[in-house]
Amino acid sequence: MEQLTTSLAPPRANPKPSVTNSSQQVAGSVAKRLGNELMSLMMSSSPGISAFPKSDGNLFEWVGTIEGPAETIYAGLTFRISISFPANYPYVAPAIKFDTPCFHPNVDINSGAICLDILQDKWSAVYSVQTILLSLQSLLGEPNNASPLNTDAAAVWDTPDSLCLIKLLSDKLTVTTVFRTQLMKHYRPVKDAA
Amino acid sequence: MATAALRSQVAAKWHEAFNRLNRTEPGISGLVSFSQAWNIATEYLHPYDISDPMVAKKHDLASVKAAFEIVNRSRRLPVMLETFLDDICNQYHLIIRDITQYLAEYEQSADTSVMLRLVFRLVEWYRAWAPIDELGPTIRGAYTLTFQTQLFSILPPAFVRGFKALCASTLVPVAQHTPQMWEAFEILGLTDRYEGIIASVGYERIEDYVRETCAGKWDAPCLEGLRAWMTEQIVPWMLPMYAKGAINTEDARGMLQNVGSRFDFHMNKTLCDLRTSEIFDIIIDFPDSMGALQDLKECLQRVDQRASLVQSLRKANRKRLLHPGADTKLILSQYVATIKCLRIVDPPGVLLFKVADPIRRYLRERPDTIRSIVANLVGDDDSGDSLVDENEPIQPLQQLETEDYNDPHWDPEPIDAGPDFRTNKPSDVISTLVSIYDSKDLFVKELQVLLAQRLLAITDDNFEKVEKERRNIEILKIRFGEAALQVCEVMLKDMSDSKRIDGHVQSKKASIVHPTIISRHFWPSLESSDIVMPGQFQALQLDYAKEFSTFKPDKKLRWLPHLGTVHLELQLEDRTIETDVPPLEAAFIELFSEKNIWTMDELIEGVGAVDRIAALKALITWIDLGVLKEDEENTFRLLEVTEEAAPAARTAPTAIEAPTVTAAQQQQAEQMRLYWKFIEGMLTNLGSLPLDRIQTMLRFAPGYDQTVEQLAGFMEAARREGLVVGRDGMWKLNR
Repeated sequence: MEQLTTSLAPPRANPKPSVTNSSQQVAGSVAKRLGNELMSLMMSSSPGISAFPKSDGNLFEWVGTIEGPAETIYAGLTFRISISFPANYPYVAPAIKFDTPCFHPNVDINSGAICLDILQDKWSAVYSVQTILLSLQSLLGEPNNASPLNTDAAAVWDTPDSLCLIKLLSDKLTVTTVFRTQLMKHYRPVKDAA
Repeated sequence: MATAALRSQVAAKWHEAFNRLNRTEPGISGLVSFSQAWNIATEYLHPYDISDPMVAKKHDLASVKAAFEIVNRSRRLPVMLETFLDDICNQYHLIIRDITQYLAEYEQSADTSVMLRLVFRLVEWYRAWAPIDELGPTIRGAYTLTFQTQLFSILPPAFVRGFKALCASTLVPVAQHTPQMWEAFEILGLTDRYEGIIASVGYERIEDYVRETCAGKWDAPCLEGLRAWMTEQIVPWMLPMYAKGAINTEDARGMLQNVGSRFDFHMNKTLCDLRTSEIFDIIIDFPDSMGALQDLKECLQRVDQRASLVQSLRKANRKRLLHPGADTKLILSQYVATIKCLRIVDPPGVLLFKVADPIRRYLRERPDTIRSIVANLVGDDDSGDSLVDENEPIQPLQQLETEDYNDPHWDPEPIDAGPDFRTNKPSDVISTLVSIYDSKDLFVKELQVLLAQRLLAITDDNFEKVEKERRNIEILKIRFGEAALQVCEVMLKDMSDSKRIDGHVQSKKASIVHPTIISRHFWPSLESSDIVMPGQFQALQLDYAKEFSTFKPDKKLRWLPHLGTVHLELQLEDRTIETDVPPLEAAFIELFSEKNIWTMDELIEGVGAVDRIAALKALITWIDLGVLKEDEENTFRLLEVTEEAAPAARTAPTAIEAPTVTAAQQQQAEQMRLYWKFIEGMLTNLGSLPLDRIQTMLRFAPGYDQTVEQLAGFMEAARREGLVVGRDGMWKLNR
């Protein structure tokens, strides 16, 4: 519960002031890094994940798309996320939240905030947009119920033997159905609004 | 009472009639003389059978005339005329009999002289039955009218056919009896009635003659000759019909003017139709078909057939030119010929614009169009059949100019020009060809590729060839501008620099390697290869590279071992073979100096990585030279001692000689694939976007340099492939 409250705070609400001051000179190299990341993301062919800058003027605000991994309860659903890079990226993790409501133990259903270790204390400069997206995708299939942001979801998920693969046993079917119902209640399909 | 009144009325009538007939003669002598006169007159007028000699009778003309006089005085002439005309109708069966007989004969013999006899016979009938002239033109006219009406009513369709044949027979050559025939026609009223048929005879004759004399004869204009022929042949023929009653030639000319211009028009039209149907072949034959084009030009001014010419040529092009079977070079040369031909026919260029449009569109879709044009520009054509006229002055490319509103010589566009017609100032052929595409950049790129290929193909310090290329480039600079060909300039400079550097390196340490050193940045991307030259070749390369790096310490030599040629001298036990081969072949044979038997896989490993097909091709070269032998499949043995050449077990697989330089188009496609990733990425995340937004977003893609038009074309292509959908100017992924 303690962890829950800490992670409820906006992840990048208080960036270190010392770094932002020198951001002017750093901005160029950050932009270059982001450009390279975009290039490698475009060239890689990881299925189900994608991201792109929101507008041509600002490389620091991106929109991402994650498709639910196959054979998980999220299969077939597409989630839109927004990625906001700090000026001192990659020394500080980007702020990421779900724009599509996502019923998931580690995602706040209202704000879309995500509880993922590599986006907080485990962040490292070697991570990239691509690794973040991949982590998020796998998070969908394997939630970390130890630090839930959405206790309801965690509770449903946590019912005995809640490996939510539909195909396993009939008694788990109820569990998955309950979870799926909750998930679909909140889910809004991604619209093609620019 | 009524009876009395009636009686008096009848009496009055009778008296009147009696007085009329009896005139003022005493008693009834007048009446008697009248009845005699009536008898003589009707006897005389009665239509008799001219073929019956018995009936032919002699009349005392004086008494007949006197009789008519009496009848006339009694004012009984109209009644007599009526009787007479009725008699004609009744007797017409005689004529019908004759006509049927003649026509039957004609049907059998198809001899037009029979028809002529029939016409003359009809004239005989007409003359025999005609009343004397003294009766005045009214009666004469009434008679003629009745006779002709009857005649026309009974003439069967067969007569028309025969009549036409008869007219035609008099045309070539103009027959002796023609004037009489025309006269006979005139008497019988046939000329007026069958004017259409007579004219059609003339028309048909003209058509036949034009086709006979002009079809396939394109070297000289025909129109003059045709006009002369008209004057000689057709005019004399139609003279009796259309200029009857002409007193002098002046008069006749005036009469003929109307019909003459009709015939002249028809001649023009026929010739125009003929040339229109031949136009495709005429264009092929250009410039030997100059005459035909001039004819066509003149005809088109008289006959409004421009639309059908365009249609016919477009159809012919579609059928004969714009199909996969036609070589691009052929299409280009036909296009150029079309340009030249239609400029002659229609200087403002409306026809050309209409015809050229489908050709240009088709050429744009062909992948090798640019290559063909560029190859032609640099004189790469083996056929030597250059698109460009050598006499044409070299001039800078002309850009399509917008209309100059201050031009004092401005002419309105021709009336049949479409809305998208662009006044194509008579620009030179190359400008026209280059304008098939929206930008000349493609040409410049292709030019670079081609130049690279040609430069690399030069061996043995053949500096003349380099000089030739330089001359070419100088000429092209005039066309494309200095800046566009800068890269080519660098490539040429590399060639001469290579020679200089090589000279220097050789002076330090003689080597048999003579590399061409090229600046990677300026040359089109060359196909890379993973060949590692084995044995002594590698040693040679290393030595040279060492010398080079002492001479130019800031530069690094990177070998492209698969390019170039190697001059080899193979010393075998019983023979020495000297040959020039590509490096891969040399590498393989070098391996054979280690051991005599190699398998294919070993060989491939020995030179690094190489495509199996290429390897096989290289090995087959040696097999053909009798140096290697394939004992079993994929195992090769060096023939130290020559063996009886076994029939070649394998023929070289038809691997296409890979072009060493990636064609500009391929490069572009490669680039576009990269941009597509970006477009896909942005559309996935941002939903649907308008084109200009995509264009600005592509700023994120490194090295993006396409114009928004090119992007539009690309998106359109992606849409055809079903990758994206576009609606209301918004593009989104198709999923």
